[in-house]
Amino acid sequence: MKLKRLLIAMLPLLFCCFSALAQTRTVTGKVTDSKDGSGVTNVTVNAKGTRIAARSDEDGVYSIKVPGDAAVLVFSSIGYTRKEMGIPANGGALDITMDAANSDLNEVVVVGYGTQRRRDVTGAISKISSEKINSIAAPSFEAALQGKAPGVQIIQGSGLAGSASVVRIRGIGSITASGDPLYVIDGIPIISDPFLRGNSSAMNQNPLASLNPNDIESVEVLKDAGAAGIYGSRGANGVILVTTKRGKSGKASFNYNNKLGLSTYANKPDFVNSAGWVQLRQEAWENDGNTGFATLPGYNNDQTSEAQKAADQALASTVNNDWWDQLTGTGVINEHNLSMNVGSKKLKVFSGLTYSNNEGYIKSNAYTRYGVRLNADYKVNNKFKIGLTSAFNKGINKRVPAAWDGGIGDAMSSALPIFPVYNANGTYFNNGANPVRRTNETKRREINNRFIGGLTLEYEVLKDLFLKATGSMEYITAFDDQFESNVWLNRSVPDSGFRKRSPYWGYNWTTTYTANYQFKLNQNNRFNVLLGVEAQESKLKEYNGEIGEFSDKPYYKDPSAYSDRRDTLVNNNTIASIEKSGGTFTFNSFFGRINYTLKDRYSFQLLARVDGSSKFGPNNKRGFFPAISGAWTLSEEDFLKGIDYINFLKLRASYGIVGNSGIISGLYYDNYRAGGITYNGGPTLYYNNFGNPDIKWETLRNFDLAVEFAVDKNRITGELAFYRKVTTAILLTPGISPSSGQNTAPRNVGESKVLNEGLELSLNYKVIDNQDMQWSIGGNIAKNFNKVLRWPLGPDAVQGGTNDTRIVEGLPIGVNYLVRYYGVDPTDGSPLWLDKSNKITKTYSLDHRVYVGRVVPDYIGGFNSAVSYKGVELSGLFTYVIGGNIYESSGKYQFLGVSNKNWNFREDYLDRWTKPGDVSKYPRLVSRASSYDGVSSEDQFNSTMFLHDASYLRLRELTLSYKIPGRLIERMKLKNARLFLTGMNLLTFSEYPGGDPEIARDFENAQDRNLSPNITYLTAPQQKSVIFGLNITF
Amino acid sequence: MKRLRIIGVTLMIAGVFSCNKFLERPPQGQLTEEDALKDESSLLAFTNSMYTLLSDNDFLGGRVQIVSELLGDEYDGNRFTGDFGEIYNRRNSIFGDTKGNLYLKAYRIIASSNLSLRNLDKASAQRNTLEGQAKLFRAIVHFEMVRLFAQPYGFTPENNHPGVPLRLVASTDIGERATVKQVYDQVIADLKQADTLLPDANGNLATKWTAKGYLAKVYFQMNNFTEAYNYADQVIKSNKYQLDTAYADRFAIAKTKEALFKIVTQNSAFVPGGELRDQFRSDNKQPGFYFTPTYFSTATAAPTDKRIGAWYSSTLQSGFLVLTKYNKDFFDLPVLHYTEIKLIRAEAGAEIGASNATALATALTDINDILRRAYNGTRQIDPLAAGAALIISNTRAQRELEMVGEGNRIQEIKRIGVRNGISVDRRGSPWNCNGMILQFPKGEQDANASFILNPEGGCF
Repeated sequence: MKLKRLLIAMLPLLFCCFSALAQTRTVTGKVTDSKDGSGVTNVTVNAKGTRIAARSDEDGVYSIKVPGDAAVLVFSSIGYTRKEMGIPANGGALDITMDAANSDLNEVVVVGYGTQRRRDVTGAISKISSEKINSIAAPSFEAALQGKAPGVQIIQGSGLAGSASVVRIRGIGSITASGDPLYVIDGIPIISDPFLRGNSSAMNQNPLASLNPNDIESVEVLKDAGAAGIYGSRGANGVILVTTKRGKSGKASFNYNNKLGLSTYANKPDFVNSAGWVQLRQEAWENDGNTGFATLPGYNNDQTSEAQKAADQALASTVNNDWWDQLTGTGVINEHNLSMNVGSKKLKVFSGLTYSNNEGYIKSNAYTRYGVRLNADYKVNNKFKIGLTSAFNKGINKRVPAAWDGGIGDAMSSALPIFPVYNANGTYFNNGANPVRRTNETKRREINNRFIGGLTLEYEVLKDLFLKATGSMEYITAFDDQFESNVWLNRSVPDSGFRKRSPYWGYNWTTTYTANYQFKLNQNNRFNVLLGVEAQESKLKEYNGEIGEFSDKPYYKDPSAYSDRRDTLVNNNTIASIEKSGGTFTFNSFFGRINYTLKDRYSFQLLARVDGSSKFGPNNKRGFFPAISGAWTLSEEDFLKGIDYINFLKLRASYGIVGNSGIISGLYYDNYRAGGITYNGGPTLYYNNFGNPDIKWETLRNFDLAVEFAVDKNRITGELAFYRKVTTAILLTPGISPSSGQNTAPRNVGESKVLNEGLELSLNYKVIDNQDMQWSIGGNIAKNFNKVLRWPLGPDAVQGGTNDTRIVEGLPIGVNYLVRYYGVDPTDGSPLWLDKSNKITKTYSLDHRVYVGRVVPDYIGGFNSAVSYKGVELSGLFTYVIGGNIYESSGKYQFLGVSNKNWNFREDYLDRWTKPGDVSKYPRLVSRASSYDGVSSEDQFNSTMFLHDASYLRLRELTLSYKIPGRLIERMKLKNARLFLTGMNLLTFSEYPGGDPEIARDFENAQDRNLSPNITYLTAPQQKSVIFGLNITF
Repeated sequence: MKRLRIIGVTLMIAGVFSCNKFLERPPQGQLTEEDALKDESSLLAFTNSMYTLLSDNDFLGGRVQIVSELLGDEYDGNRFTGDFGEIYNRRNSIFGDTKGNLYLKAYRIIASSNLSLRNLDKASAQRNTLEGQAKLFRAIVHFEMVRLFAQPYGFTPENNHPGVPLRLVASTDIGERATVKQVYDQVIADLKQADTLLPDANGNLATKWTAKGYLAKVYFQMNNFTEAYNYADQVIKSNKYQLDTAYADRFAIAKTKEALFKIVTQNSAFVPGGELRDQFRSDNKQPGFYFTPTYFSTATAAPTDKRIGAWYSSTLQSGFLVLTKYNKDFFDLPVLHYTEIKLIRAEAGAEIGASNATALATALTDINDILRRAYNGTRQIDPLAAGAALIISNTRAQRELEMVGEGNRIQEIKRIGVRNGISVDRRGSPWNCNGMILQFPKGEQDANASFILNPEGGCF
């Protein structure tokens, strides 16, 4: 009680208005929500023309004494349309219903370790509802967020089934550490690392793809320190909170929905056919001063016989093999979900089943998902509640090679149109790339099983003091199955291909204890205090050797053979299970949050977290992360109350320190390892790297300022936010002298500083809103300004993975470092370059490289519109990127395709010099890269010739749906039914010549992923799909 | 009271959770230097790893030889693209994994040697052998690196032109290029110590004769014929080695009698020479490397030459003139062999023959041994006609033929360039043009802005 008294003393803010008029009447009544009939609390009831007011209580009941001359009562509350009612002549009862004006403001928003009402929220949080996540057949749930939350950039990886997306919230501030947000599902930070399989077969396996989007109730994106700060050392990249569906009160009801559809590619690059290729080959040959016929790869090698070479050219011209067509087809999408909801006073249950099979457009590529979920809440008594969360998901990725690993990548590179699939004798052509042979004779499957279970006990010890204990467990097994047939292996023995399986498995548990005390000092002063402690341990294991054998079929068709083989190898000590490198870590955290709301219009929040982790070096074991934030609802102030046009206006601000601990485990530890081999009969022991005991999190100072508003009878709503984020102590593996025996050594560079500053605007406008017809338009746009403020190292010190991007002080992260291409000398077709002092030169040199181009776009966002008339609705979502560049790492090889590089030649490069006087976009073709003056090889031919504008506009979603009218539904004994037709990526507008402008290639590591989005190397274009769906509730 | 109890429980939970042990998760299987190099047996295991690193694909398992052959003049360059194309065109830049990985692997061996030396106090009975091997490996790697990344010994009169970073202590400090003289001095000092520390016999592992053989090779590269002759002579007189009669035995399993130093195949667990097979192997695919018609016709001109059948083919892959030396699944990798020692003593002996009649006579014996084996006894130099010049020219010709595909030719072009002031390069480059050596990987300059890079190109 002392505390309460203290607070009263501290906050002398309670002003009451007394009116002592002689003639008064008392009006009492109940205010209910027009939608669900629940009582509306905190409604201001004001006698019009006076200063007399009262408020409704928790159940919506109010009582007000009004003077005799008062005729009208005004009811107002945040989130509800103002309502005026005449006072009954003799006072007495006046019950009213109020319409939710802007449902967004009253919606419950999930914040870390709790929920808040939207209007009380002091941090930057975007909420995306279940329907929006399930509107398209995206490869993984996070891809469906694209364009739906301001400041959240989603680059869907590629058109491969199950592809991972690069998710960047408000820019990118990390270099070597992960730039990905923290994914928390129902309270457990889940295993989401896209590098668990490295970059095998040119694809980063996406652990998120196995999750069932239909289980998701909502996704909350926490963007600033006021919101993500509660996650301390893991909040710097933002947090994506996924909440799964739970049982609601009501009789048992079932929902069935499906999606059936077809998929193809959204876009593709075009290449010249075989006759064109041979002709260009000859042209390049002659351009270099050669005479006679050019030799062809894959054909006879007799370079001395002109007749033979002529015959080869004639033959090759007629082959005309379209490898793209050979490898692609129309995929079938087939998805079924069944769920059940039932809820009594004691027990509420949600359960669901899912099956989906999403075939990509590449033959034999598909992602299949199975899932089952049971979420239950049991109320033991009024004080004690138990909640169970459990789900099992299985994802099977039928993989195909891509990009540099072949397959569809070959079709864009070294599988030439002059190569046939088969030789005349029926055997596979094998004197050059043959992706059909690869597809037919090798198989690869990634199988992921994931169980997530959680148990929550909540006990109300004292009134409004809740103690909560949550234990969550994630258990994961993953198998990478590969099979190579005897044909592929050139083994003569029939039926003796080779199969192998690489498994990893492990667990990830989190235990959280929180104490939450919510108390109201009085009507005007509300507090919410949270204290918590959390521990997490993640451990992944694998075998230290290969499990494989000769066989005629893969292990997934013969599971017992796998366990036999594994047991044999384990028993004779050939292999043993070991911890997966980097997969083991612990976190131990203490956190607290105090929310104080004054008069429903001023909200303050103070939070802090202390994080310790096994990832941090012994010299920096724990970090402290505080944040403060506040919000002011101006529309509740008297000076704005009179302005009817403004329905809601809120200012909010936050500042805090958050960390990024997305670093690999064990960096602090020296790395000597026993070798897996013996030498000369003795064991081996290798030195790999030195450890760094100072390794710690990256530090981010995060400021956010925003205004939220609703005007014109709540028809226009929106939010404008400004943020400024400065990252320091950036983790780097800067190049050290390779003569030390290692290339890189990790460290937190204290003097480094990266800025992300930006504006986000989201707007929604209900143009027409009546019973029969609704039309809304909305959209968001975000501008992020990224700049490296301080950089103590040289520009080449941090390598952009396999790509040529750099870190330079004063420029954004991930600038390209290229020689500028000026044009073509019309006299001889030579390429012209600009040197560093902008002088035109014919001699190419790496010394001419300058910083041009950047991987970060200027603006990102999306806009949508929906028109509905009675039960029919047409809605669309466009997403867009403005500014930034795409750099084609593969473009230089495609341009030099007819040289001895022997790649496919893209049609847009046909605009080349052929004879003196030609004015062309591209220079003369050459038979070897070094024919261009100063070019040492095609590898060192990086120039702005292959740098393009990354802007695009894409019709991401277009949906036509029909809600079957009530009468028909009743006749069918249904509660609800909806049919829809949805197209994904139907239209793309872009000036990028290389195919699809949405690019996130396969990455080698987190650094590559940070520095090189928008760098393409034969990235498979995105999927385009049309699906028909049915959604019924019964 | 109730509240106190709650606070108590909370504190207890917090106490359990803040246990510091919970935050210790050293990576399984990963050791610190202290735990890794703790006794003699761990140092022996550590030394074993250096044998495998020396014969790693990125180093003497093929990359050193391949880079050398690219710089040389025996292969057709039409198909080389990327890094290979650059090196072949004698114009390589700061980029390129081919060279970058070679460099890194080389210095990892040097760092390992230095770490071994730093922890020698933990050794007991085998201390000398461990120290000798570490110094031998450090010398071998520095020698290979200075030959590839710096202009040759003799390029300047004082040899004060930039060499490669000399690393004598394991650390992550920045690298600076020592002069070529400093590098050679250190290589010789390390080899001489290895000579005294290593045993006379050591199974498959390095012996004092390995060190002596390398001393002969290093001095020969320096055109220091007196010392080259001296050490080659010691090796030959030890009677521990003899010329293989069958050429196929040199790259085979447990067959050669020539190896002063070899990396042995460990069944299928560790198979050295993978990169040699990848690039040269010509029995199951078109090889990456095939000869120019000029070289091929020279090498196969004498019908009696037994090496033609053993090492060359014009029919195995239609249209390609290929090497067949490495057409095997497995072989022990001889890093230094007796044939080379014989060739060194022959040429060095002839070079000092004017003032040393014994040496000249020995030289004649050596070259005739080589000739007799090659041409089935049909060819040898007549003692009456044998002058130093004739021995030298024959020895140089035989060296090229004997060591084809072993990365020898480019170093001979440079050594002869220094010795005679002429370039014997068939592709017409000066022996001392910029592109005859490799550029350093860009990492050196990133870490140290004052690091001196090599000038590039300029060979054609």
